[in-house]
Amino acid sequence: MSDDLGASPPERSKRKRTRKSLALIASLFLFAALLSRLRPPPPNLLPDKRHTVETVKRRVCVHTLLENEVEEATILRSLELARELGAATIVQFFPWAYAETRAGEFSWRLFDRIVQHADRQGLRIIARLGLVPAWLNDDKTKTLNYLPERGFPMFARYAAAFAERYAGAIDELIIWNEPNLSFEWGFQPVDAARYVRLLQAAYPAIKAANPAAVVLAGALAPTLEPRGSSAGLNDLDFLRDMYATGAGDYFDSLAVHTYGLLEAPEAEPAGDGLNFRRVELLREIMLENGDGHKSISITEAGWNDHPRWLYAVRPSQRSAYTIRAYDYIEAHWDWARHLCIWALRYPADLKSYPDGYTLINADFLLKPIYFALQDYARGWERSIRPWLPPPEADS
Amino acid sequence: MKGKAEMPSRIVMTAIVVLLLFAMWRHYEPPNRDIAFPAGEIVIGVDGSFPPFALDDGGRLRGLDLDLGNAIAAEIGLPARFVNISYYGLYDALISGEVDLLISALRIDPARMDALRYTQPYFDNGLMTVTAPFLGPLNPAALDGGALAYEYASSADSQIRAWEAEGHSYARMPFELPRHALDAVRLSQADAALIDASTLYLYAREHANWDHRREFATREPFAIALRLDRDDAWKLVDQSLSALKESGELARIVGYWL
Repeated sequence: MSDDLGASPPERSKRKRTRKSLALIASLFLFAALLSRLRPPPPNLLPDKRHTVETVKRRVCVHTLLENEVEEATILRSLELARELGAATIVQFFPWAYAETRAGEFSWRLFDRIVQHADRQGLRIIARLGLVPAWLNDDKTKTLNYLPERGFPMFARYAAAFAERYAGAIDELIIWNEPNLSFEWGFQPVDAARYVRLLQAAYPAIKAANPAAVVLAGALAPTLEPRGSSAGLNDLDFLRDMYATGAGDYFDSLAVHTYGLLEAPEAEPAGDGLNFRRVELLREIMLENGDGHKSISITEAGWNDHPRWLYAVRPSQRSAYTIRAYDYIEAHWDWARHLCIWALRYPADLKSYPDGYTLINADFLLKPIYFALQDYARGWERSIRPWLPPPEADS
Repeated sequence: MKGKAEMPSRIVMTAIVVLLLFAMWRHYEPPNRDIAFPAGEIVIGVDGSFPPFALDDGGRLRGLDLDLGNAIAAEIGLPARFVNISYYGLYDALISGEVDLLISALRIDPARMDALRYTQPYFDNGLMTVTAPFLGPLNPAALDGGALAYEYASSADSQIRAWEAEGHSYARMPFELPRHALDAVRLSQADAALIDASTLYLYAREHANWDHRREFATREPFAIALRLDRDDAWKLVDQSLSALKESGELARIVGYWL
C-alpha cells in the first residue's frame, strides 16, 4: 500500500511533483551517460598523399622510438621530420610484448599505424624485434628482456607473423638487441651459442613467411667486457663465438652499434678501445669466416653533446663528427648499407645525459645536428649558426 | 532533549575513531632491516659516467650519489656496495634484483611508478633564473623585454618558448654551451640566464667572486628508486634520508660536490 493514502491532497501533489522531478533528473543522467559513450571517431591523420624522401645520401638513417607514443599526431610529426631530414630509412622497435599480449593472439593496431605513417612519408623501415610478453614469465622479478629458451619457438612464431604481415613494407628484421650485454637478456649470463639458437629458430620461420626478408643478426653493443664479466662480452669475441657455434647460415646481414664517444670518426680502431671505426674489426671477423659477401648495417651510432656527460663532445663537434662519419663510410665502407643515428627523438626528455643523443628534443625543438644532417643528406649548402659566439670580457 | 538524541551517535563515532586508530597502530610496523636487506649489505646501482653525481675514476667510484649512498648505509647500519651500470640498464637492474636501490641522478618518473617507488627528493635539478644581484624579481613576467641567455635547444630553450607562448617576450640569446649563457650574465651582456641547477652550482664554484641572484623557475627533483615490493627497504632508506636532511649531512654532501 502506498504511503500516499494517509496524506492530505496538497501533500500527495507535492510528493507526486517530487517523484516526477527525480524521474526527470534520473533520465537526464541516463541520457548524459549514453551521450558520453558516443565518442566521435578518432581523426584520420594518415596523409592522403604519399611523399618521397628527397635525399642525395641514401645511407642516412635515423633510429625512431615511436612504440611508446600515445598521440598519433606525434608519430606523424616525427616521421615527417625524418623525411624532411632526408633520411630514407628508419630503424624502429616493434616489441613482441605489445603485439602478443595474450599467448597466440596478435594485435597489430599500433604497429599498423606506425608502418602506414612511415609508408606515407616514403620511409623504409628496418624492424627491431624483441621484448618478451609478460605471460611468458611468471616471475615478476624478471625484466621483459628475459627470454627463457622454451620461449624461442614462440619468439620465432611472432617474428614469422610479423614478417608475413608486413612483407613488402618491412623486409629487414633485426633479431633481438645487443645480445652481448647481460641486461639485454634479463641479466642472464651472455652466451653467443644461446643467441645462435634463437637465430636458428627465427631465421627459417621468417624466411618461410617472407622469402624476401633480410634477417639481421647482432645489433651488437660496442663494449670491452672481458670473458667472464657479469655485464656482458665484448662484441669482437661475441661475434667470433657466434661463428664458432654455427651462426653463419642463419643471418643475411650483420647489425652493429658504434659510438664515437670522445674520438673523431677517422680515429684508428683498436681491440681495447671504443670508437666509430670499431666496426672495421667486426668486418675483419666476418671476412675470416667467409662472410665477406654479407653487408653490415649500423643500426645505432652517433656522438653525444650533453654538457656534463663524461663522454660527450660539444654540439658543434657532434655535428662535424657525424657528417665526417658519413663521408668516411662513403669513401671506405662499401659494405655498409646504412648508418642510423641514435636517436631521432625520445617520447619524453629523460633530463639526463642520454638526451644528448637526440636530434630533436621531446618538444620538437630541432637541434643543430638536425640541421647539419639535413644539409648533408639533401645536398643543401646552408650555413646555419643557431647560437651566438661565446661572450668575451671586453666585448 | 537534542543533546540526549545525539549521545548514541557520538559514542558510535568515538568508537569508530578509536577502532581506526587501533587498526592503524596494528598495521604500522617499523621496517625490519633483515627483511629489507637480507644479504646484510645494501647494493646500490649508479652510472659512473655522470659527474659530479657519480664518476668511475680509474675503477674507483666517487661522487655525490656515492657519498649519499654511503651515508644512508651508515644510518641503516649496513655496508654499501656500488655497482656501476650504464643509464640504460639501471631500471632493469633494479627490477631484476641485481641491485637494491638506484642512486644515480634520477628524476622522478611517474611513468615508472607501476613497478617502483621513489623516496623523497635529495636534490632539485630544476631550471634556475640567474641575474645580477641588483635586479628585481626573477619570475617570467619580471624578465619581460630583457635579454635572456640559455643553451640552444636545451630544456631552458623549451621553457623560454613556453613562456613566450603565454605572452611574454624576451630578447633571446642562445649559446652553444650553458656556461656561455652564464658568462653572458656574469659579463653583463645578458639580463638573465636560464640554466639547470647543477650546471649553475658548478659554474658558481669556478667563479667564486661572482655576485648573482638565482631562483628556481622549474622543479626537477632527483630521488632514490626502489622496487615497489621492497616496502621495508623503502621505509628505511626514506627515513635515513630524512635523518640526513635534519642533521644537515645531506646539505654538506651536496655542498661538497656542487
